[in-house]
Amino acid sequence: MDNAYLIETVIKVVVILLIFSALAGIGTYFERKVLAFMQRRLGPMNVGPFGLLQVGADGIKLFTKEDIIPTNVVAPIFKIAPVITAATAFMAAAAIPFLPAFTVFGYEVHPIVADINIGILYVLGVMAVGLFGPLLGGMASANKFSLLSAARAAAVFISYEVVTGLSILAPIMMVGSLSLIDFNNYQIENGWIVWSQPVAFILFWIAAFAETGRTPFHLIANDHEIIDGFGTEYSGMRWGLFFIGEYANMFFISFVIPIIFLGGFGDGSVLGALALLGKMAFFFFFFLWTRAAWPDVRPDQLMWLCWKVLMPVAVINVVITGFVMMF
Amino acid sequence: MFEAVAFYLFAFLTIAMFYITVTTSQALYALTALAAGMIFISAFFFILGADFLGAVQIIVYTGAVMALYAFGMMFFDTTREVKEKQGNKFIVVGLATLAAVMVVAIFVAPIVSTNMTAFYPMVEGAGNTQEVGLVLFTKYLIPFEVAAVMLLVAMVAGIVLAGKKMDLSLTLMSAEQAKDIDDKDKKVLS
Amino acid sequence: MEQFNNRNVAEGGYYLVDIEDYPTDGWGKFKRVVKRSFKGELFVGLWVVLREMIRFDIHTISYPEEKMPIGPRYRAIHEMKRLWESDTERCIGCGLCEKICISDCIRMDTKIDEESRKEVSEYTINLGRCIFCGYCAEVCPELAITHGGEYENASDQREHFVEYADMLTPLDTMKANAQKEFDGFGAITPHEDERVKKTPLSY
Repeated sequence: MDNAYLIETVIKVVVILLIFSALAGIGTYFERKVLAFMQRRLGPMNVGPFGLLQVGADGIKLFTKEDIIPTNVVAPIFKIAPVITAATAFMAAAAIPFLPAFTVFGYEVHPIVADINIGILYVLGVMAVGLFGPLLGGMASANKFSLLSAARAAAVFISYEVVTGLSILAPIMMVGSLSLIDFNNYQIENGWIVWSQPVAFILFWIAAFAETGRTPFHLIANDHEIIDGFGTEYSGMRWGLFFIGEYANMFFISFVIPIIFLGGFGDGSVLGALALLGKMAFFFFFFLWTRAAWPDVRPDQLMWLCWKVLMPVAVINVVITGFVMMF
Repeated sequence: MFEAVAFYLFAFLTIAMFYITVTTSQALYALTALAAGMIFISAFFFILGADFLGAVQIIVYTGAVMALYAFGMMFFDTTREVKEKQGNKFIVVGLATLAAVMVVAIFVAPIVSTNMTAFYPMVEGAGNTQEVGLVLFTKYLIPFEVAAVMLLVAMVAGIVLAGKKMDLSLTLMSAEQAKDIDDKDKKVLS
Repeated sequence: MEQFNNRNVAEGGYYLVDIEDYPTDGWGKFKRVVKRSFKGELFVGLWVVLREMIRFDIHTISYPEEKMPIGPRYRAIHEMKRLWESDTERCIGCGLCEKICISDCIRMDTKIDEESRKEVSEYTINLGRCIFCGYCAEVCPELAITHGGEYENASDQREHFVEYADMLTPLDTMKANAQKEFDGFGAITPHEDERVKKTPLSY
């Protein structure tokens, strides 16, 4: 294996880790600001200009807080659960092309850690493994609310993985590849997939909310009925890792949706790269927007929506796509 | 070199995980170790260049183990140890060793005799996913379809078994009706 | 005045919301979902919050810098008033406030001074115990002890005493004629009449 490739990969991994851990922190800042503005509040204002250093203050607080392991919990599992959430979120990033290839000092850089030819499957699979974090944390916590949350995590996982897979199947059939780069290149020639697959786009978008556990489907850690769900017994940085995982997941899925459906970074020009970042920003903003605007659904409504509405629609969509492609 | 390091690392991890799975007396440890072991197995597929199978291994087995977790949640207090009934230890250890040796022998024998050739050699230019598809829809089409039908049968049976009285809603009926339902249930049970 | 006396607000603005019965069968539920999905109700919610964000009509009061005006009835930390004529203390040391205090937080000691008048030598209020009921101010025959508007009395201890000298109006304020008289318990917040609204009492 060639040394330059090795060094490049290590650098890319470190850069992605640093950028997205920082972004996860700044994501919480954006969330608080956006929610505050939508509710006619100011949000954090006192730490630094416009409260920008609030992220740092939160970080210091989380890092220096006592790490409490309650009695009766299953300690090893309890300790490892947040790490699973955070680690899998970043592992999923390995197959996402964040920007088009660019040249630095005459060396061509591909901003994707590993262009494996099953990119999208890998991203979704590893993101799904991330749900083991809430599940294990909830089951190990020796707390009834945590256990409820773990049960919901298992239910949401098993249900919405189906919708994600089936909705993404139709675009995969059209592109004929699972690599996200191929998705991007297909859309340069044939136009955005969203125009030919609007139903798949909306289904995938809905399922993304369930995968990341954001507000309309926020029942894994629903504050107003099961306290903080799996996070009830956690404190300090372990709880913070759950948070980093959740926000990193939001960012990654906000990258994946535009790459699959909205043309990605286009032909690879600077404009295309900026457009991808803009689309990513919109999808991230939409996560926050819905949190301000929409109520949560009940767990049974969530299951109903998944199995009786979204899944049949996804299957019909796949069948129709198949017929159209055949004839 | 990297492949060798990765292979031995994941081999050790996988064996360690499955060892924990069978030896621990706590449901949560067993399930978590099982999930971890299943995910570590996917590493072998990646090392062998079978990316598609690796990703499918992750997706399928996380989902399957997730269902096991659900059962664990229903049947155990997963934060406590389960008291196991210890049978004759020698029989258990002996049978387990025998089984392990036999499995290794079955899989190693063709390799040792270097008789192994691929039925379906790699098609030049086709990707990983396409390869799997080609084999699945030519040679193994009938087992594949039969498996699909069996899963469908299982699903329909599950819905029929679980779906009894699903159209009745206790919240929407009057108290007398609900009481009648209870009486009928009692008759069925007794 | 007539418009305030007429409290039957139900005539105009209130009406019974017409809620349909919940569907019981699967097809009805499906129709409801389709209706709700395509009616755009979700987008109404999105638009409302986005509109508020664009309008940027922030209602936050950044507290330590800005403060809300508080009403004259507000019962916060006590104040001891002086007489307007002579600038001497109004308190005559009668001890009624100490007697009536239901949480037992007022302690006072008196002595006879050289002019053979009763004078307060020690007077403390334990703000950790005080429940700010206002009985002391109500019972005071000289209107000496009153409630002020100073509400920032957080402390790191349970016992938190305020002394007579601290509560007393400073002499400079008296010189500047700036002592504020306590309007009493029935007092109305300034400009309150502008904010009067009809209460929806008679549905």
